[in-house]
Amino acid sequence: MESPNRLLLLAAALSAALTLTGCQTIKGWFGKEDVEPKQTEDQAAAEEEAEDTDATPPRVIEPNVARRKIKTPKIDNENWEIGVGAGFLSIEDFGTNPSYAGQITYHVTEDFFFRGDLGQSTAGKTSFERLGGDIELLTGDERRFTYYSLSLGYNFLPGEVFLGRDTAMNSSFYLLGGIGSVDFAGDQRLTLNLGAGFRVLPTDWLAIHLAVQDRVFDSDLLGETKVTNNIEMLLSTTVFF
Amino acid sequence: MEPSITTTRSRRLRRTSLALALVFACSLSATVLAKETEAEKAAKEQAAREKLLQVFVSEPYLELSTGPGRGYPVFRVVERDASVDVLYRRTDWFKVRDEHGIEGWARARDMRRTKLADGSPFVFNLGDRDGFTSHDWEIGLGGGDYGGANLLNVYGAYSLTDNMKVDVTVSNFLGNASNGWKLEAGITHVIVPEWRLSPFLELGTGVVHIEPRATIVLPEDRTDQTAYVGAGLRFYLTRRFFLRADYRWHTIFTSRDDNEELEEWKVLIACFF
Repeated sequence: MESPNRLLLLAAALSAALTLTGCQTIKGWFGKEDVEPKQTEDQAAAEEEAEDTDATPPRVIEPNVARRKIKTPKIDNENWEIGVGAGFLSIEDFGTNPSYAGQITYHVTEDFFFRGDLGQSTAGKTSFERLGGDIELLTGDERRFTYYSLSLGYNFLPGEVFLGRDTAMNSSFYLLGGIGSVDFAGDQRLTLNLGAGFRVLPTDWLAIHLAVQDRVFDSDLLGETKVTNNIEMLLSTTVFF
Repeated sequence: MEPSITTTRSRRLRRTSLALALVFACSLSATVLAKETEAEKAAKEQAAREKLLQVFVSEPYLELSTGPGRGYPVFRVVERDASVDVLYRRTDWFKVRDEHGIEGWARARDMRRTKLADGSPFVFNLGDRDGFTSHDWEIGLGGGDYGGANLLNVYGAYSLTDNMKVDVTVSNFLGNASNGWKLEAGITHVIVPEWRLSPFLELGTGVVHIEPRATIVLPEDRTDQTAYVGAGLRFYLTRRFFLRADYRWHTIFTSRDDNEELEEWKVLIACFF
């Protein structure tokens, strides 16, 4: 029932398409009058050229200047900062001891940055061990205090530090807060860290940091579970890359 | 007993003071070195000038600050039609050198209004909402829960397209029964990257190392292969920051008869660049 109608429609569409595309070439079919003016134009151009040669000398140099393609050089991003430092770590109940650390920072904006710290110290003796004679709470290996932390930092109070009359260095204070872990006394614990630091930049690629961080974790080493505060002060040198 | 402790302690203190002094000396000498070679550096940079991008000021002037931050004072202005060479970029500031060889920091927002030698505008990634949709790299850190244990995460991802990212996650988990770490690599598919709150699907594999805690009687440390499938949400905060929260369902291929199945939840703060 439907098929003859469809065929008819199809045929109509096909012929329409053919005619429409064909129409573009129709101009060419009876295009004698179109070609003729072109020829006269050519002749006119040739005549003009002939006149030109009479009036002015022929063009010696053909302007053949290709548009120079400008390649934009890649701009170096220097948002990473890496460095090492040394200082003191006060391990609660275990005295204050030297510590060493490495740090890596990514500056996201001028205000905020991500920072990772990895450090190590060795715990001293508790007063209980010192007074109690030969008692050893921890073995040598267990005394090693290894920590890492992932922090978000915020720069505030940007300013300049003046050394004498001619030297000014950029400086800024920063706050740090994050989470991490500490491996101490044969166990690994989750830590929270909070801190603040001061940064001076002698040049644009070099920085000297003095930072204090508190690493807080739950410890049950001395009988009952308690929150311990372990405050560390570090002097470090970093470079931007 | 007492004296020996004091001597070891004092020796240790001395050692640290020495290390501190060394760090300080290193930084000082580096500063001096940096100053001494400045003349050489200028000459070298002059030679390398062709490789630097030159832009022209098209606004009435371009302000140069002493440091890459809004708190640092403006010490120089570059006039209209003068050029500056772009040395490098730090966050949203560009270190530039003007025609007189003076270097300073120009704000990205101002640099956006400069022109290249052919008159076209100087375009670069500003770190805005468009950047959230389309960027190369992202890094993030955060925490969560991994089968009942506390989880700490760092991840980095590279965008193959706006939708497809390859990512690597390093995690450390601290539980009551065991501690450990895992390293995973996977593929993330962001379904509609244009949305501010945009969902994604993920699939990946890695290794997990589990160390039972000393107090629990369990077999020794073990390292197993793991695979995960997950889904999550990304939410654009501001500037270059976004939150990334996801759920992963892990299968750990143990050497025992049964595979272990674990759930992981986490929230990370991340940035793109």
